[in-house]
Amino acid sequence: MQTSILNDKKAPYCPGCGHTVITHTIDKALAALEINPLDVVAVSDIGCCGLVDGLLNCHTVHGLHGRSVALATGIAYGLNHPGKKVLVIQGDGGATIGLQHLMEAARQNLDLTLIVQNNLLYGMTGGQISGLSPMQFKGERMPEVQDVPGFDICELAHRAGASLAARTFVGDSNFNELFRRAFQTEGFSLLEIVEPCPSHGIKKVLDLHRTADYPAVELRNERPPHRTAPRETTSLLDSLPLIRARFSSNLRQRLEIVIAGSAGEGVQSCGDLLAYAGATSGLYTTKKGAYPVTVGSGFSIAEVILSRDRICYTGIAAPGVMIIVSQDGYDAVKSRLGKDTYLLMDASLAPPPGHCVISGDFRKIGGKKGAALAAVAFWIGQTDLISIKALEAAAGMHRHGDKLVANIESASRISKREIMLEG
Amino acid sequence: MHQDRKLVFCDGSRIMIEALAGAGASVYIGYPITPANWLYAYASQRFPTFLAAPDEISALQWAAGFSSTGQLPVTATSFPGFALMLESLNMAFMMELPLVIILAQRLGPSTGSATTGAQGDLLLLRGAISGGHPLPVLCPADFIDCWHLAARAAVTARELRTPVVLLTSKEMIMTSRSFDLSLLPPIVQGQLPSFENNGSYLPYRAGESRVPPFLPVGNTRHQVRLNASTHDHSGLIRKDSPESLANTMRLREKIEQRVAEFTFYHYDAEGEADTLVVTYGISSDAAREAVSNLRARGEKVSLLILKTLIPIPPPVFQIFEQYAQLLFVEENLNGQLKELCFGQRSPSALRSLNKIGKMITPEEIVEEVMLCKQVF
Ligand code: SF4
Repeated sequence: MQTSILNDKKAPYCPGCGHTVITHTIDKALAALEINPLDVVAVSDIGCCGLVDGLLNCHTVHGLHGRSVALATGIAYGLNHPGKKVLVIQGDGGATIGLQHLMEAARQNLDLTLIVQNNLLYGMTGGQISGLSPMQFKGERMPEVQDVPGFDICELAHRAGASLAARTFVGDSNFNELFRRAFQTEGFSLLEIVEPCPSHGIKKVLDLHRTADYPAVELRNERPPHRTAPRETTSLLDSLPLIRARFSSNLRQRLEIVIAGSAGEGVQSCGDLLAYAGATSGLYTTKKGAYPVTVGSGFSIAEVILSRDRICYTGIAAPGVMIIVSQDGYDAVKSRLGKDTYLLMDASLAPPPGHCVISGDFRKIGGKKGAALAAVAFWIGQTDLISIKALEAAAGMHRHGDKLVANIESASRISKREIMLEG
Repeated sequence: MHQDRKLVFCDGSRIMIEALAGAGASVYIGYPITPANWLYAYASQRFPTFLAAPDEISALQWAAGFSSTGQLPVTATSFPGFALMLESLNMAFMMELPLVIILAQRLGPSTGSATTGAQGDLLLLRGAISGGHPLPVLCPADFIDCWHLAARAAVTARELRTPVVLLTSKEMIMTSRSFDLSLLPPIVQGQLPSFENNGSYLPYRAGESRVPPFLPVGNTRHQVRLNASTHDHSGLIRKDSPESLANTMRLREKIEQRVAEFTFYHYDAEGEADTLVVTYGISSDAAREAVSNLRARGEKVSLLILKTLIPIPPPVFQIFEQYAQLLFVEENLNGQLKELCFGQRSPSALRSLNKIGKMITPEEIVEEVMLCKQVF
């Protein structure tokens, strides 16, 4: 078995760069654990540290700046295999761009190791300070000085639930050992390595502790890693009830119905029941809803089309029938009232001037949540377009079937109170 | 109506998700957004693996990660989420990782109106890949397409090793209809081009097919390198070597040269018609109805519903050439399909019917066709 993860290429980093020593330490730790390089997937970020791919004998994935942890998350889930090692290599720039990905991986305690090579600055772009730079730090050729404390990503990852979050400095005595411990950790392990960047920042290993005033830490949470195993599922279509046209209908022409009420009052399910009842009556039917983004407030409109012929276009301009059970609903649809629209309204609403309205106490009969269905049942009772039995059968399939059917029965028995208004 | 029909009452979201699962897509990763929420809900029931991502950048990165292990991931979003996905989409395109994104259009710009349908994202998709590379886009015009094209999106993603967008809109995926399931054709599953040979493996060396054979990361036979930066056949960054530039060019060629494998359109030609109504997606129903009404009045008019939108399949231009007048019907302000086909300064023989905020009606199309005929 090939034991070294490194090939014989020369590291592309500047002389004295911390990345070189880190790359060799990763290799030594994996070799000590006898991990086959082809069981390792190294995901590298953008920046000098992302040049590591060319040195590696393992699988390499070189993605976007800051996104390597998220990409590795998908790889770790996709492999779903404790024998595979997913390793992420990123700099301090990548860690702050993708801080949320880092937190998410820690929260999920995903089985991967993230090595944050923190040289306190952005090396590839000339030495600008980063979100991990300590106070008062400045790059050699850049005017800016860090005047806000840097993130403590070890503390953040620990609090988010990482199995291991540790910080060490190039040259520290526990350096090699810590890599081994990270690779042996089940779950998310984060190693923040404070290192020199001789070209723009700290030149000597000895100066690291003096400049980066944050402590070496090794923080642990005892948690199992999160994994997902694929599950058996069943067809979304096979579970649908098959419709048999067991009721009859006298409908001749396409009929467009708008049911308008308030959100959370059963308007959408009422539209579904009407459309379903139409289908069991041998008709083609469509239904769609319109509502504001809030589900529990404002208007709710269900648009239903019943037709003998196949329905193509599903838009409704001036509907044949409008059933309105609340003020929210009325306000939302009143502009669409055509001169021939058959209008059914709850008795609590002020009818539009000059329009023939059938009104009933639907909110009283059906209650708030049953008003729309009561009004639809009443309307069906007044026509011979579809049978009330079809609506009852559709409602009977609902999880609150008994209640709905009782509502339909009482509503279809009420007598109509017709109000003809002057035009 | 025939005897073996299986009539149900359902919506386009359900059909699309079932088709994708049936076509072998194994994982759905998403962040909910209106009007793609039904897709998310159905996927949470149906996909063998379902993951809720904390944002859309994560969703697409996770998806790309799954894809690198050989699985076919799906996500669904709308413009605001898609905008966040853009860089990761480019990454997956460059790495040649199959995945399917359902883009449910809503009225923009920006957050616009979440619950209003629209057809405003086509040109965004045309420019989505930096460098102008074509990203395959399929667009269903009815429930049968929701099934068939969703499955074909999965096949195309795998066989061409590319992200594919299924472009849709609220009216298609949130409208329920009585529908006969027996009309749905059987689904074929596409295959990732596999590496069967015992020789050395270069992850980006492609043969005649223009698509390199796939091996998953983590396999113990060959090293796999995937790279979002300009790379050579081995998958290592090479800034401007002839090999790496040729690889970048191949990404375009593989889509354009193999577009015939995913060319879909519905052409309803009427003999002697001089006007062709051209449309796609949610405006198709109104166009079909308008054309049948016009024919009932004795008017001669043809209809073309495009379903492969990017790249525009070459036969479509041959159809265009047979007509003196083309009328593009789209629910957007600027005639995006027209611009995609003909640029911004289109010849006078092209007319556009555009509208936002409401669906275009059959009556509006009839009126416009009659105007076309007068002008002509
Ligand atoms: S610029 Fe700094 S980080 Fe980049 S290779 Fe050189 S020393 Fe290393």
